[in-house]
Amino acid sequence: MKSPIILSTSKAMAALICLIPTLFFSGIVLASTTHTIHITAETLPNGQLGYKMTSHIGSSQNYPADAVIPGPTFFVQQGDTVDIELTNNTGVPVGLNIPGILTGTAEAAAGGGVQNYSFTANLLGTHPYYDEGSAFLGLFGALIVDAADGSVQSFVDGDGTITPTNVADLAKQYVLFMVGSTFWGAEIVNDTQTPLWANPVLGATLDDVVRFHVLSIGHDHTFHLHAHRWLEDVAPANQGAAPSIIDTKLLSGTADSHAFTLKAGTGTDVGAGSWHMHCHIVSHMESGMQSRFRVDEDGAPESGVSVAGATPYGAILLSENTTDPGVVTFEISDEPGSWFRSARGGAIVDPTGPLGAANIKTQSLEVIAPGSSVHFVMSDTNTVHTVTSLLWPSGADEGEQHAIPFDQSKAYVGGGIVQLNTPGLYVFTCKIHPYMFGAVIVDDPATPGFDLGEHFDLVTGATGVPTAGDLATRLLRTFFVATAPENWQDYTDPTDWHPAYPNVPVRITGGAVLNLQEVLEERYGAGIALDPLTTPAENGYPSGVGEVWINTQFEKTASKTKPGTITVLDATSWTIKRKVALPEINMNNPHNMWSSKNQYTVYQTQWFDDKLTFIDQKDGRMIHNMRVGDAPAHVMTIPSNDDVTVTINGENRVVKIPAIGIKNPWRSSGMPSQLPGQLPANPHGHWITPDGIIVTPNINTADTGFYDGSSGEILARPAAGGVNFPAVPLPIAVGIGGEKAYTANLLDHSLSVYDLAGNPITDINLISTSYDPATFIPGVTNEAASQSGLFPIQTPVDPTGRVVVLAATGGTIVVVDTSTDSIAAVLPCDPGCHGANFGAKAGGGYYAYVTNKFSNRLLVVDPDPDDDGDFTDAVIAGSISMADNNAPTDDAVASLAGMGGQGVLAIPNVYNGWVQNLPSEWKTGLTAAQQNATPEIE
Amino acid sequence: MKYNLCPSMVLNCQKHIAMMGTLVRKNRSTRLLSVVMLTLAFFLLGANGAFADDSGKTHLIELWAERIMPGYEGGNDLFAYRMKKHLIQEDGSETDVTWRYPDEPTIPGPTIVIDEGDQVELTLRHKFDPGDDETLEQVSVHVHGVHYDIESDGTLEYINLVRDQSAINSPTEGMVMSYVYHWTAAPGTAGTWPYHDHNMLTLNGAEDRGLYGAVIVNDHADIETVNGEANTTTSPFSNVGKEYVLFIGDDAFWGTEIDNRTGQQTPLGDNPTLSAARNSYVRFHLIALGTNSHLFRLAGYRWPDSETNLVIQDKAIGALEKHVFAIRANHSSVYEDLAFASRWLGMQGQFKVTRR
Repeated sequence: MKSPIILSTSKAMAALICLIPTLFFSGIVLASTTHTIHITAETLPNGQLGYKMTSHIGSSQNYPADAVIPGPTFFVQQGDTVDIELTNNTGVPVGLNIPGILTGTAEAAAGGGVQNYSFTANLLGTHPYYDEGSAFLGLFGALIVDAADGSVQSFVDGDGTITPTNVADLAKQYVLFMVGSTFWGAEIVNDTQTPLWANPVLGATLDDVVRFHVLSIGHDHTFHLHAHRWLEDVAPANQGAAPSIIDTKLLSGTADSHAFTLKAGTGTDVGAGSWHMHCHIVSHMESGMQSRFRVDEDGAPESGVSVAGATPYGAILLSENTTDPGVVTFEISDEPGSWFRSARGGAIVDPTGPLGAANIKTQSLEVIAPGSSVHFVMSDTNTVHTVTSLLWPSGADEGEQHAIPFDQSKAYVGGGIVQLNTPGLYVFTCKIHPYMFGAVIVDDPATPGFDLGEHFDLVTGATGVPTAGDLATRLLRTFFVATAPENWQDYTDPTDWHPAYPNVPVRITGGAVLNLQEVLEERYGAGIALDPLTTPAENGYPSGVGEVWINTQFEKTASKTKPGTITVLDATSWTIKRKVALPEINMNNPHNMWSSKNQYTVYQTQWFDDKLTFIDQKDGRMIHNMRVGDAPAHVMTIPSNDDVTVTINGENRVVKIPAIGIKNPWRSSGMPSQLPGQLPANPHGHWITPDGIIVTPNINTADTGFYDGSSGEILARPAAGGVNFPAVPLPIAVGIGGEKAYTANLLDHSLSVYDLAGNPITDINLISTSYDPATFIPGVTNEAASQSGLFPIQTPVDPTGRVVVLAATGGTIVVVDTSTDSIAAVLPCDPGCHGANFGAKAGGGYYAYVTNKFSNRLLVVDPDPDDDGDFTDAVIAGSISMADNNAPTDDAVASLAGMGGQGVLAIPNVYNGWVQNLPSEWKTGLTAAQQNATPEIE
Repeated sequence: MKYNLCPSMVLNCQKHIAMMGTLVRKNRSTRLLSVVMLTLAFFLLGANGAFADDSGKTHLIELWAERIMPGYEGGNDLFAYRMKKHLIQEDGSETDVTWRYPDEPTIPGPTIVIDEGDQVELTLRHKFDPGDDETLEQVSVHVHGVHYDIESDGTLEYINLVRDQSAINSPTEGMVMSYVYHWTAAPGTAGTWPYHDHNMLTLNGAEDRGLYGAVIVNDHADIETVNGEANTTTSPFSNVGKEYVLFIGDDAFWGTEIDNRTGQQTPLGDNPTLSAARNSYVRFHLIALGTNSHLFRLAGYRWPDSETNLVIQDKAIGALEKHVFAIRANHSSVYEDLAFASRWLGMQGQFKVTRR
């Protein structure tokens, strides 16, 4: 029956009055069915999890034989009784939640546990069911409660007629879950359920009436389908008026659903076509959340046939299936090393597993066949990220699918999916947290060895880099060290450092097949003796003044799931005074600190979270914890008024918290780092001049921002980097001394130098111009000259403005003389060399304290031992272990002791602009010169 | 220099210096109980379901996509659409209404106001360095809501399997590139819909970099507003004096207002001050766009929600969702986005109600 809904007010009321009794009594009046359902939870070949239907008494549905994503669709009628028995065959506890129907239920234990669930299906509609802990990995499906009379959502016909519809009218039903940045689909035709997997093409024949069940897990999504319109889903209690016609729908919260019916291609001006179907959140479109609704003419070949997408059962390493496009899955995680963690990561590194002999320590490497996909989901992280191609085989994406290089213009929550067709090595990173790495080898099964490809391109703009060359193996070595905590340098272990590399054959430039482990060990050494730890005192250098607070960001403690501690070093004795873990707030990746004017309060950012934490300097206790925005990176006070500024690295602003009434968040304000509508700048490690000008390295827009810290006005945004790789310099940290600002460009291997009005002065190249990644041979060519400052990060200028001590994560410390803006000295550092800051040296002068992510020692650098203003004699005065399991602490160290050194802060704060404001108790330990570090201006 | 998006005649244009958004403590306890609406039958269709205009006008529109360079503040360029020509053909006669639009690119782009039953032939043109930058050439218009066939989808060939539907084809006027789109505001498409680029820059469209605007398809049905007692009242469509088109981006509102007596469109820039005469009826057309979700509020006002049939005082809006409501202006207020990041960015503006 088709009739336009044309209701006057009185008709609407009459309709509502008729509807109410129907709603209340239909379930009781009509005979109800009892459903006895047995499902299991299974681990799929790619490590994802899925529900499997084993039996369903009370239904005529034909289910897939295997576990599927989304899980089997439960069709019941309103008023039916549903009894579900869940057997959990996975390695993690699994339960079943249905919002509004089944909540707070018990889980089935890992490894065969059984749990029963019962409910009466009174609530009409499409409902998500899911497991609370592992939904992002695939444990979700749909429960569809239909009216007993078979009526379903009306559709809007091409002439605008709103047409009542019965389930018998439906040619097809689609179940489409929006999870991460991926659609997971299934279709139901004539009671037969067919899995369509990731980003399927949904097929329909022109004028077919089909029903969409769109559901979501975890993140916000907006579903949009081109050239089609449908009715809003109005809650039954509010029915009665003409409903709203839409073509885009927000799904939000932990789990959500939206169901509608439409007529495929209806409208005289619409018709058949390959209609785009996507999430309309920009970052999700950019990360692959798009597919097609293909409407075919009746009688066309394969008319209305859907095309399944990549499947967890498809062609990936160790899979028996070599024909269907497969998918590997990385969970994006806050966990040290495993920032991109393969869903089957544990199986890959298991020494007794099928790959045990290959000795692969990293959980961040996967192997697929050409045409399979890599899938990412931000399931284990508290902040925003990007999923960005760092390198890829030259010539990838020649098929014009616009997928490689993979990138998004803004950081976001969600995931990503991309099909990879060209054999070779693909490495992905996060632009916000650029040491997060995940790698995929697309391996042509017809060639020997794992294909690394002939040449690769880098996000920086370098193209055609040979896989046989030094740059390739140097990046591979960095990857295997960064992503495997077992490969980090442990200074408490007296044995040589011997990073494990996969013992596998790889195919490189010219088709040569080499053993990866042998190549890397030959080029960069196998067993490397670590320098013994010696304090400055043991080496005859003066003590420091006060304390040094170090963010041992990867250290794990017993009472919290997230990593990171603060290690407080007594600089007068070079002993660890305290560890601060803050288990009461599950402090997450503490990254950078600053202190209040009186030094009572230490401000701490949580970089993989959204909080700024206030800590008592005297006892390490938490004072306050405040949400400021996604991925807060660095914190620093404005010297004149002690206001706190925090860069919101995942977003588009610097947050300012007034020193007065500091715990009142509504007094705080945000200073946008760009004009409205522009790309977010994503500022990271800022600095502030004594006059209150905030200078930020804007990683997403490749510039250095100069802002008036009082008004928030944008003063200047000069370009950063461009010395070696102008495409993506990734400016990451700023230092200021005298009348100059220094921006370190991580991927450009350069320092950009500006005056304080933002005018460029010069650029300092931190690598040799003669470095040729194709011909360079480690140990033969002059190594120091070739890579004096690969991947520079923190770049503070000493309080007198004369010298920069720069931590380069390639493993060096670069000392720059600001009078000439040239490199005065290069000192050895550890892999992941990261943080640097100056503190007072007893008796005059300064030490630079340098931290390392992938080792557990702090280096103490004396840039000018003889205090003659010549920094060519800069020296490492001592090194101190950050591991100390006996130090006073609020939580016991569990693993990765002392690892992850990043932000570092000396107390008292002796920088120019701040030192003058120290209270007298902190000034007493300083010399007269240190108390007034007014820079010498050339 | 600032972005020149705000003509000097508009006094309430916001300054572009980075605004210090102050977090204001919100009193959420005042969120009112929503009331079930029984009288929304008129909301979508007119009293007799008659479509307002079956005569079917044809709109010939020429739209340009242009670049807007930032001033000394730096940062990346924005892009915007500019109305070059709008002719309306009806019963053999032709009316030129180009004067309704500012003669410059605006964010949001020109609001295309049509009636249910109308057709649109839209020619998009641009001169973005053709031949030099492939991603800039791929500028398009993709529209929501109205009917169009696969040739007018405004997407790339790898999506629509037909052709790149960007303004890249056979330039006949020097280096100008163009593409023609055909839309039909068929019955059932009344409402407010976004149009936006789908192809430029990242090849996902510069839809959050300025290349967007609204299409308003009117059916001239009566409007519903909520009075002081939270009851809905019905008024003739002709009572609506002003339309505010407010796009909600990730970091700012961008607005245009339309004077319904004349059809004149006035661009208002970002986080604009909206003004209305006391006791006049005004209609808000909200469309979100970007990556964030939003929670819109116009303090002290309530309105009927077409989604739930409830009377509401705030509304969650996701990217490219629309939300349209009318109010009777009786007191000055502030409109704002209550989402966490938006509050830090000062995403709000004044709603000033004055005596006539």
